[in-house]
Amino acid sequence: MRALVLAAGRGTGLYPFTETRPKAMLPVAGESLLESALGKLRAAGVTDVVMVVGHRSEKITEFFSRGGVHGMTIQYVRQENPTDIRDAVRCAKEFFQPGEGFLLVYADVLTSGNIYRHVVQTFGSFNQPVAAICHTPQAQNFGTVYLDADMCISKLVEKPSKREMGNYVLAGVFVMPYRLFDLLEDRGMPASINEIIATTGLRSAIWEEPWLDAQHPWDLLKGNQMVMSAWTEARVSGTVQLRGAVQFRGPVCIESDVIIEAGASISGPCFIGEGTFIGNGVLVRPNTSIGAGCMIGFGVELKNCILLDRVRVGRLSYIGDSVLGEEVYIGSGTMTVNHNLERSNVSLLLKDGEVDSEMDKLGSFVGDGANVGASNTLAAGAVIRPGEIVPHHYTYPRGGS
Amino acid sequence: MCGIAGMVASTNVAQRLYRSIAALEYRGYDSCGMAVQTNGTIDVRKNVGTVEAVNLNERLTDMKGPVGIAHTRWATHGGVTRENAHPHLDTQGRVAVVHNGIVSNYRELRERLQAKGIVFVSETDTEVIAHLVGEYLDLNGGEMESAFVSALGDIEGMFSLAVISTQASGCIYCAKRESPLIIGLGDDANYIGSDFNAFIEFTRQAVIMDDGEYALVTRQGYVVKDILTRETINKEVTEIEWDVEMSRRGGYPHYMLKEIYDQPETIQSVLTIPREELAALAGMIHESRQSFLGGVGTTYYIAAMGQYFFSRLADCYLPAVSTDEFPHVARIGPEDCLIAISQSGETYDTLSAIRYAKKSGAKTGAIVNVMGSSLVRAVDIPILQGSGPEICVISTKAAMSQAAVLLLVAAELGGIRGFLDEAEILNCRESVASLSGILSEALNERSGFLHTAAGRHQNMKNWLYLGRGVYYPAALECALKMKEVTYLHAEGMSAGFLKHGTISLIDENMHTIVLMPPPEEKELHTLTRSSAEEVRARGGFVLGFRFEGDEEVEGLFSEEIVFPRVSPLLAPFIHMLGGQLLAYFLAVQLKRDVDRPRALAKSVTVA
Repeated sequence: MRALVLAAGRGTGLYPFTETRPKAMLPVAGESLLESALGKLRAAGVTDVVMVVGHRSEKITEFFSRGGVHGMTIQYVRQENPTDIRDAVRCAKEFFQPGEGFLLVYADVLTSGNIYRHVVQTFGSFNQPVAAICHTPQAQNFGTVYLDADMCISKLVEKPSKREMGNYVLAGVFVMPYRLFDLLEDRGMPASINEIIATTGLRSAIWEEPWLDAQHPWDLLKGNQMVMSAWTEARVSGTVQLRGAVQFRGPVCIESDVIIEAGASISGPCFIGEGTFIGNGVLVRPNTSIGAGCMIGFGVELKNCILLDRVRVGRLSYIGDSVLGEEVYIGSGTMTVNHNLERSNVSLLLKDGEVDSEMDKLGSFVGDGANVGASNTLAAGAVIRPGEIVPHHYTYPRGGS
Repeated sequence: MCGIAGMVASTNVAQRLYRSIAALEYRGYDSCGMAVQTNGTIDVRKNVGTVEAVNLNERLTDMKGPVGIAHTRWATHGGVTRENAHPHLDTQGRVAVVHNGIVSNYRELRERLQAKGIVFVSETDTEVIAHLVGEYLDLNGGEMESAFVSALGDIEGMFSLAVISTQASGCIYCAKRESPLIIGLGDDANYIGSDFNAFIEFTRQAVIMDDGEYALVTRQGYVVKDILTRETINKEVTEIEWDVEMSRRGGYPHYMLKEIYDQPETIQSVLTIPREELAALAGMIHESRQSFLGGVGTTYYIAAMGQYFFSRLADCYLPAVSTDEFPHVARIGPEDCLIAISQSGETYDTLSAIRYAKKSGAKTGAIVNVMGSSLVRAVDIPILQGSGPEICVISTKAAMSQAAVLLLVAAELGGIRGFLDEAEILNCRESVASLSGILSEALNERSGFLHTAAGRHQNMKNWLYLGRGVYYPAALECALKMKEVTYLHAEGMSAGFLKHGTISLIDENMHTIVLMPPPEEKELHTLTRSSAEEVRARGGFVLGFRFEGDEEVEGLFSEEIVFPRVSPLLAPFIHMLGGQLLAYFLAVQLKRDVDRPRALAKSVTVA
C-alpha cells in the first residue's frame, strides 16, 4: 500500500520553532516528527510515499530528498497556499490511480508505538476503509467519533461545540479509498468522511498507546517524554569518547563521535546527538534530548529539555523544562526559571496572545539562532523569537513574568 | 453465532480440523463436533462441552479420513444436547451437514419430510438440510451437486453451510447466504471456514464467498457457482494480511473493551426474554416462605444489587448470600427457594449451593448466560440472559444483563404482590429498554474523561469506592473490577460504614471514588454528599461519578466524571459502566494482561 503523507502544516501554535521550519520537522527524542513517522511507516511495510509539503518545504526536501537513504521512495507535491487538509489531500489526486486505496497520514502526530502497522493490519483484517482513533484529554480540538457495537464509526463530529464531550478522536491515520478525492471536490474533509461512513462504512482501529498532536511548544516536551519513557535499553555508539570517569544511569542513547569530559553524570532516558561535546561535570537529568553538534560547557545542568542541533550552552547554566532552537547560544551562568513563586500555572506569550500552559513547571522557549548573553535569568514561560539578542546580565522578559 | 470449518487433504484431516474449530471457539463453545469421510462412510463424533473437553471424550483427533467438516455451537434456540450438536446426518448416513444461521421455513420442511416417514433425531433446523439433500439424492440417482443445489432451493433464511457426502468423495459442498463463509487455498489442502481464523494457521490465500453462491472444494481446487443459475463465477484470491487475535476480537484491542461496547446490544436481548419466564421466577419467589439470591464474585454483587431492586419494586427483602458461604449460613427448607446467578453456569460454589438447596427440598431458579450448562440443567426455573459468548475473564456485559434481569423479575414480583400495577411494570421495562441508548451515549461521549482520569491517576495504588443504597453493591462491583484487572488494591464500601473505622485509612495514598445518586433520590443524595465531605475534610482525594444537572455537588469533588442524566432506576447501571471503563483504562495504562488477568479463570469450577 502507498501512503499520502501530509507535511505541509505550519503549526502556528508552536511558535517560535515553526517560524523557521514546518511542524513536521520539529524534533522529539532525537528525531523529527516526520523522521519518526517515516521510520514507522517503513517498519509497517509502506515504502512508497507521496508527501504534500508547503511551509518551509525545503527543510523537508533537503533532508529526505527522494527517500533512498531512508529506504523509501518519496514523491513531493507542493501545496502552494496551505489552507486546510481538504486542499492538501486534493493536491495529491494525480499521484493515485482510481480504485487505489491508500494510507493517509498526518505527519505531525506522534505515537510511541507503531500506529501505522496497527492500521494496516486492521485494513488487512476487514478490507474496509479504516480510521485510527484514540483518546486525548483535548477531545474538543479534534474530530470526535461515535462507535457502534461492531467497532465501525457511526458518526463524526468535527471539533464538537459540546465541550463536555469526552470521546475517541480521529488519530490522523487512515486507510482511504480513492473515492475520497472525488468526495473532496465539493465538500470538506469531515463531510467526506461522513459520506464514507454512510456508504462503505469506516472501521475504527483503536489506538491505546500514547498519542500526541503537538499544538503548543510545551507539547514537544510531553512528546519527548512520551517517546523516551518507552525506552528500555541504553545504546552508546562505539565512537563515543569518554575522557575520564563518566557516570551513566538508565536508558541513555548516545550517538557517534560524542565527547564527554570527566565528571559528567548522564541519566536516562536521554538522547545525545552526533558529535556533541559534553564538558566536565555536566549533569544530564532524565528526559533530556540534545541535538547534533552541540557544546555543553562545564557544570551545566540539563533537565527535561530539548536542545536542537548546534546549540551552545555556556558554563554553569541551568536549562530545565525548556526547548532551545537550532544554533541558539546561551551565555554562561544563565538560568531558566521553571516555576512562578506562587506555583501558579505558567503562561506563555505566543503569536495569538497569552496562553495558559496548565502546567506549573515550565521553562523557556528560545527560537533558532537567538543569542542570550551571560548571566541571564529567563523567566518561567519566556518565549524568545528567532535571532533575538538578549544582552548580558539581564532578566528576560524585563521585570520578570 | 456458530463456527463452521472444513478441510480436504490427501492425508488425515482430523488434527488440523480440530485446531480449526478450536480457533473458532470464540464464536461459541457450548457444543461441537466433526464429521470425517473415509472409504464410503461418514464418521460423526460430537458432544456437549468445550472443543477441548469434547476432544477428550470423543477423541476427535483420532478420526481417519482426508475430508471433513466441523462445527462449534453457541445455542440460541433448542437445547444444548449431544443430539442437537452438529454435524447432522441424513437417515442413511450418506450426508453430513454443518450449518451457521437459521432455516426460517424449517417447520414446513420438517413436516413435509416427516410425512414421508423420515424420523428426526434432533430439535435443530439443520437436520432438515441433511434429510433434504438425502431426499434429492434418492430422487436423482445419487448425483450430489444437483441434490445439494435443489436442497438449497428449498431452504429459506440466512445460512452458511457445508456438506460432505459418501456420494461425492473428496469434495466439500458449501453455500452462503447472509452468514459468513470463506474458502482457504493451501499447498496440500483446501479449507473452508466461517472466517479466516479457521485456517489462518495453515494458509493466507483465501476466496471470500458472496451471498447466493455455492462452492465445490476439492483437494486440487475449487469452483464457485451461482445458486440460482448454477453458472461458474470467477473469484479473486485474496492474500490475508492481518493479526489473527485482533480479528477474533472484532478489531477491538481487548475482549474486555469489545464486551463493554456490546452492552447496549446485550441489554436489548434481556428484553426478549419472554415475560412468562420472568413471571414464573417471580411466582416461585412469591410462593416461597423465604427466598435467597446467590452468586459469588461479581454475581454476588449483582445479587446484592438485586436486593435493592426487590425492595424498591416488590416491597420485599430477598437476602443475597455469597454461594461459597451459602451452606454455612443459610437455612433453607422445602418452602424456600434459591435463585442463583452465574455467567458460565459451571461455577463450583454456586452449583454446590444449588445442590445444598435441592437436598433440603427447596425450589431453585437461575439466571445464566451459557445455555446447556450444569446450572441450567440443575434448577427448576432457569432464565437464559442471552448475552452471547463472554470471552474476557472479567465479566462485564454478562453482569450488566444479570442486573437488568433481576430488575425485571423484581418488577414482575411487584405486580404479583400488588405493589406495582401493570403500567408501572411496563414503565420499568421501558426504562430498561432506554438503558441501551444511555449506555451508548455514555460510552461515546464520556469514555474519554475516564481515560484521562486513568492516565492522570495511574500511579495511585489504593482506591476506595463508596456508595449508599443500591450504589453500595455497585461500589463493591466497581472495586472488584478494578482489583481483578489492574491488580491494584480497591475496596468497595457503603458510605455510611466508612466512618466506623475505615476512614482512618484516608490519606494521600488512597483515592476515593464516590458513586453519587441522581438528585431525585434526595435522602441518599444528601447522605452520600456528606460522606464525600468527610473524606475531603481528612485531606482525601475524591473522584466523583455523578449525573448531569446535579448542581448541589458542584465543587464537592477533587475531580469528577459527569454521566448523562438517567432515572434513579438506571443510575447504578451507569455507575457500573464507569467502573468497568476506569478499570479497563487503568489496566491498559499499567500494561496488564487485560483479557487474562493473573491467577483468574473464566469459570471457577473448583472449590
